[in-house]
Amino acid sequence: MILSENIQESLNSLWGAKQRSLLALIGIVIGIGSVIAMVAVGQIVENESIRQFREMGTDVCMVRENVLPGKHGKRGGSAGMSLADVAKVPGQCPAIRTVAPYVNLYSRLTRDGRRVPCPGLGVTGGFRDMFKVPMAEGRFISDLDGYESFCVLGHTKAEWLRAQGAGALVGSDVLFGGRLYTVVGVAGPVLSGSFRPYEINEGIMVPIRLALRLPDRPRIGAFAARMTGSGETGEATRQVKAFFRYTNRMNVDVVGAEDLVAQMERQMRMFTLMLGAIGSIALIVGGVGVMNVMLVSVSERRREIGIRRALGAERKDIQLQFLVESVVLSFVGGILGLLLGVGAVAVICRFTGWEFFVSFLSVLLGVGVSAAVGIFFGYYPARQAARLSPIDALRSE
Amino acid sequence: MLDLKNIRKSYLLGTVEVEILKGVDLHVDRGEMLAVVGASGCGKSTLMNIMGFLDVPSSGEYLFRGRSAQGLSDEELSHIRNTDIGFVFQQFNLLSRLTALDNVGLPLVYRGVPVKERRERGREMLDRVGMGERWRHRPGELSGGQQQRVAIARALCGQPSIILADEPTGALDTATSRDIMDLFASLNRDEGITVVLITHDPGLAKRCARSVCMVDGLVETV
Repeated sequence: MILSENIQESLNSLWGAKQRSLLALIGIVIGIGSVIAMVAVGQIVENESIRQFREMGTDVCMVRENVLPGKHGKRGGSAGMSLADVAKVPGQCPAIRTVAPYVNLYSRLTRDGRRVPCPGLGVTGGFRDMFKVPMAEGRFISDLDGYESFCVLGHTKAEWLRAQGAGALVGSDVLFGGRLYTVVGVAGPVLSGSFRPYEINEGIMVPIRLALRLPDRPRIGAFAARMTGSGETGEATRQVKAFFRYTNRMNVDVVGAEDLVAQMERQMRMFTLMLGAIGSIALIVGGVGVMNVMLVSVSERRREIGIRRALGAERKDIQLQFLVESVVLSFVGGILGLLLGVGAVAVICRFTGWEFFVSFLSVLLGVGVSAAVGIFFGYYPARQAARLSPIDALRSE
Repeated sequence: MLDLKNIRKSYLLGTVEVEILKGVDLHVDRGEMLAVVGASGCGKSTLMNIMGFLDVPSSGEYLFRGRSAQGLSDEELSHIRNTDIGFVFQQFNLLSRLTALDNVGLPLVYRGVPVKERRERGREMLDRVGMGERWRHRPGELSGGQQQRVAIARALCGQPSIILADEPTGALDTATSRDIMDLFASLNRDEGITVVLITHDPGLAKRCARSVCMVDGLVETV
């Protein structure tokens, strides 16, 4: 019998038992979904680490104040790093070339009586080069801005203001946390994640000296540093740690690009393990479900098998018919699972800030695995069907 | 055409072996229309199954068109059923999911005939049994008599050398039965198709040129 007709036949027959077929598919859908998500997450993370290096360079590291009280550390309520101390780092630590300290602000952006929550960053002029911030309009914050109430709008906040009906942004005033700032520039969109503070897109940036004098007294908890070498964090870490221990009696942690990649890989391993476990259990459950549906289908259609045999179907024709049916069944599950898997990957990416994409390979894998499940779990029922003697099959009700 | 010599068939019912056919001798000529009459349980259906290669005898010799049926493989038996035999059953045995047309074309599926050609042949066969108008209908939408006509068209579709009909009118009313018998008679008379009819109704048997009677697993010529 011709394959395409077999496929059409099996679709008809599966459609005839919609409910049963759908229930059997749940396992397959979850199983394939997990497999696809697992592969896709792996690839996304790999991509993400490459992007990491490509965008910011391998020579960037983050220095963060270690707030846990240590041997040399002060107990909580530390005043953070001072701007002057951070500025001394490149001079005192030969392994560090430039630094970009910043402070976080949290407030609201107001326009025409409408307010949105808006994070802010107090930044130095070097921040732009460190984090490769593209400018859409105007200029970035400069060290010469001093205490001036200037600001650079992040991409999404500029969009919001435009949606509120703002005209030319550069040169206009915006109200942020009860202060008027003059917009000197608008940043272009950047891919977030990695070391980049998300405020580059989502917030506004103001001069760091001004930020440090705001009433809520923000503090510098972290700064990014570009190293002189090509990514040897070891020496830089030693020097920076020693510097802060000596000047501030403060413990700091230094995280390099490779630490970040390692951290992402740990996260990925967790997802992979979880998805792999769910996937393999669900695939087995789903496969048994398919087998069950097929066994029921065979026993319900004994008479049909008998008729076909009487009309000249060979054993292999019957076997192929039921095998195709189970493959079609799990293939449909595979396609639904594909959608579920892609959805899951999208959720994971949202959650981790990774760049979303689904490769052809993972789609191929999902489809392949579902077909394999169909063949593996459909073989036994199909064989049962083929082994029925024509006369027994014909006699059954 | 068909030669059965001392055919025996026994089944194992639980632990008891029951002999259904106790040495049947029967000869069917080409172009003949033969009725096998017998009460229920006399073994006539078993005989038909053996004649139609759906079942194999426990012992005895069966010559089909001069060829011994002994030791044929499942593929060979399937092939003979496909090309040489047309079955008509009491319960019609049409596939309920398929249209009348696709039901009729079913034997050709297993010869690898493409769907277009199958449907052409199917239309011809349906016309021949007076069901040309109803090709689109599914079995559930047809009356018993109409379903049996479709089943006969299916049996004819493979151009078999013999049609085996097991109680073909058993599920039909008297008037419809007469129509179906007329159809068999005209197929036999006008196209020379060999027909073996199995029935418990002596009235139907009278419409066949020859009839034999089965009693308790043995054939007795009337």
